[in-house]
Amino acid sequence: MNDHHHSPEYRLEATDLSLAYGAARVVHDVSMPVPPASLTAIIGPNGCGKSTLLRALARLHTPLEGRVILDGTDIHRRPTKEVARELGLLPQAPIAPAGITVRDLVARGRTPYLGAFTPWTRADADAVERALKATGLTGLALRGVDSLSGGQRQRAWIALALAQDTEILLLDEPTTYLDIAHQYEVMDLLHTLAAQGRTVVTVLHDLAQAARYADHVVLMSAGLVLARGTPQEVLTEQRVSAAFGLPVTVVPDPVTGTPLVVPSRAPLAGLRAPEASPEASLDAHHRQERTP
Amino acid sequence: MTLSRPTWVSLILAVIALAAVSAAVTYGQTALPWWDSVRSAVGIPTNSPADFIVGQLRAPRTYTATLVGALLAGSGALLQSVARNPLASPDLLGVTQGAAAAAVAAIWAFGTTSSLALAPAAVTGALLTSALIVGVGWSRGIQPLRLIVAGIGIGFVAASITTYLLTAIPERLVPQAYLWTIGSTNARVWDHVAIAAGAIAATVPVALWLERRLRVLEMGDDLAAGLGVRPVRLRLAAIALGALAAGLAAALTGPIGFVALVAPAIARRLVRTEGIVLVPSIIAGAALTATADLFAREIFAPTQVPIGLFTAAIGAPYLLYLLRRARGWNS
Repeated sequence: MNDHHHSPEYRLEATDLSLAYGAARVVHDVSMPVPPASLTAIIGPNGCGKSTLLRALARLHTPLEGRVILDGTDIHRRPTKEVARELGLLPQAPIAPAGITVRDLVARGRTPYLGAFTPWTRADADAVERALKATGLTGLALRGVDSLSGGQRQRAWIALALAQDTEILLLDEPTTYLDIAHQYEVMDLLHTLAAQGRTVVTVLHDLAQAARYADHVVLMSAGLVLARGTPQEVLTEQRVSAAFGLPVTVVPDPVTGTPLVVPSRAPLAGLRAPEASPEASLDAHHRQERTP
Repeated sequence: MTLSRPTWVSLILAVIALAAVSAAVTYGQTALPWWDSVRSAVGIPTNSPADFIVGQLRAPRTYTATLVGALLAGSGALLQSVARNPLASPDLLGVTQGAAAAAVAAIWAFGTTSSLALAPAAVTGALLTSALIVGVGWSRGIQPLRLIVAGIGIGFVAASITTYLLTAIPERLVPQAYLWTIGSTNARVWDHVAIAAGAIAATVPVALWLERRLRVLEMGDDLAAGLGVRPVRLRLAAIALGALAAGLAAALTGPIGFVALVAPAIARRLVRTEGIVLVPSIIAGAALTATADLFAREIFAPTQVPIGLFTAAIGAPYLLYLLRRARGWNS
């Protein structure tokens, strides 16, 4: 496949994309088609440029070089509002207005369809109800967003993006700051959305989640795409070790059989304080026993 | 069908504003038949002293003050949304001081103190000051905190310029020029009312047009941009409109402090939101200023007190009360 030309089977695609903040170039010459109706996870170490790449795909970051193409046209040449009807974005730290109800928050996802004085229509109300239903929030629609649990709140934000009625959905670390149960609740939702035909791209920190849920994984390091493909193809010991600078072992996930990445070494005993408590020494002793 | 909270808050505030305006035109040093006052206040000739006392003195003054309050509150609501800070207002950001400095500079340059002749200078001053604030506060887009710090600094510079000019202009002009440092609703005529009404008619629809997108922008730039809002453009538009409204208000009455700061805060507390609520804010501003002007006119009558003193006297304690009461439900 030739990355330098737009391939009609991909609605969204980055070609030879370089991105910078001022003089600092953070993404170098990345080409990445976004496979439709599937879940794509962008992974990589902190500062590797994955969030910047996602912002560029969402038209929020003007490329230094290269292009982001949406439906055959440079995304920066298309009107903002039009793009907002094709592509939804959930950024990392959105701010919920104090006191807002779940339904009112989700309703703001209809912004691209509303002019300044356009009345709220049946179609808008229906889209909001569908988004609430898809995220399991119908029963909580009248609750204040402030009163929700972390996972419910993240689902409300995703519902906002769903109310936008876009086929493509981009999310920046939607599971960060959630406890493990809520993380998997959000991942299950994204997986379902992809299975229902949406094109979902998400930046993820957790490699186990990427391996379990993603159809496609894009592994980045230092502004470059090291590998992209299925989790099995991308999450190899050699590639992950190189990307993160940490020796890792990849074992089959005992539940799903997908790659499970674990660090190759046990915790360092040498970093322990010299005058450790008896319990701590005992602990260190046990660890040494376990270390091969 | 139940009314939404912003709607009934607006209605209650409108009743308060109407009551204050009615009291201001019917009550005063000269006792007049109530019905004569009411008719004079709406422009019906009564062939009684009310034609002059109400028709030419009380009514234009009260209406100007009320409409100016609405303009200031709208300006404050826009700027507070843009700066994401409840303390942003044209008086804190130096826009009002810029308008006053430009007006006093025009007195110095042209030797006129007619408030209508100075209006273009005041509006120009407000717009130039806001452009300067945006220029200084700019760093890869509009940074709210930089904007506020730039505004405070530029406000002090503008106030210094006004103070200097007051020493440089001919002495006979000083008493009139001095009013540009405190604001006054005294001796307003129907031309002022007409300009104020025109200013409202021109700015409020545009502000309402921006409001829906400003609410989205309050949830963060990236989220707003993903929803088709252009953050930088929207902020520039809201700042320009806020400065225009504040400049027009200053042109009509000089700088009346506190209204632009407090009225949107009162409206937000009553509606129970931290986001922009334009219509309740504007009506709160009108109610606040109408009340303050009545007190300024009558409390030490026949001596008049600057209205700004009373906007502060009514606004500040109420804000403190609301802050006290609100403690707890934010955290």
